[in-house]
Amino acid sequence: MAGIEKVPAPRAGAHTVIGSSIVIDGEISGDEDLVIQGTVKGRISLRESLYVENSGVIEADIETANVEVSGQVTGNIAASDKVELKADCKVVGDIRAPRILIADGAQFKGNVDMDVKEAKGK
Amino acid sequence: MATTDGTTIIGESILISGSLNGDEDLTVRGRVEGTLTLTKTLVVEPTGIVKAEVQVKNCIIAGAVVGNVTATESVEITKDGRMVGDIQAPRVIIVDGASFRGRIDMGEVDVEGQPSRAVRSAPAPRPALRPAARPAAPAKAEAKKAEEKAPAAPRPPAPPAPVAMGAVKRKVIVKRK
Repeated sequence: MAGIEKVPAPRAGAHTVIGSSIVIDGEISGDEDLVIQGTVKGRISLRESLYVENSGVIEADIETANVEVSGQVTGNIAASDKVELKADCKVVGDIRAPRILIADGAQFKGNVDMDVKEAKGK
Repeated sequence: MATTDGTTIIGESILISGSLNGDEDLTVRGRVEGTLTLTKTLVVEPTGIVKAEVQVKNCIIAGAVVGNVTATESVEITKDGRMVGDIQAPRVIIVDGASFRGRIDMGEVDVEGQPSRAVRSAPAPRPALRPAARPAAPAKAEAKKAEEKAPAAPRPPAPPAPVAMGAVKRKVIVKRK
């Protein structure tokens, strides 16, 4: 419908957008990029990238390939590739991913596990 | 961000189970299970599957819906739409090709006031009157003759269309038919 064109250009690959007035309480799973501007409580598991935008609020455990957080996340994040905490984000919870980026200005409280060499040798 | 305000899209491979609430339009191309409450329009596209109790303002179903739908304005099942469940809405549109099983409640239906139905169905045949009257016009001479013979007789029928709601006009419609 008309809404398709409204998806921001940098997120061209993302077909799913949870708008800012949307509240989801439950589980989201899928194989494509997900952009969250609204509120999600429960669990998110994706095989692609998750973008939590400024207005996005997540109270959920996240399991994805990539995560980019500009909004608020409360819960544990497990990514198979990368987690990026952008400036202005607020994250409370544990992060586990091979690559973790925390930008200047990001607020974070929790454990970080990059699965370094010792752990790999298990 | 502001760019996408007002529209939420659930992509094809996405499954949401639980409750979903919102104040904006929602387009479903994937699956939604549980409860779905919106103050605006829900569009279930052909690839979309909704198994939920749905409460919205408007609902357009081109995919599959299993569950009860309550709409404050309208529910439309398009030709690709499939639905099993009950519908409660003041306006319900089911087009040819749609499949539906369930109950429909449009609220208070005034069975006594049958004419109101007649008024609604009447506008359809009416537009045909005008084009039918005009083909006589191509040749100017013929057109002039026609006008002489029946001065402006075929034309007046057009105006009544906009006034269809007037109770008095109903009888006129019936006669013409």
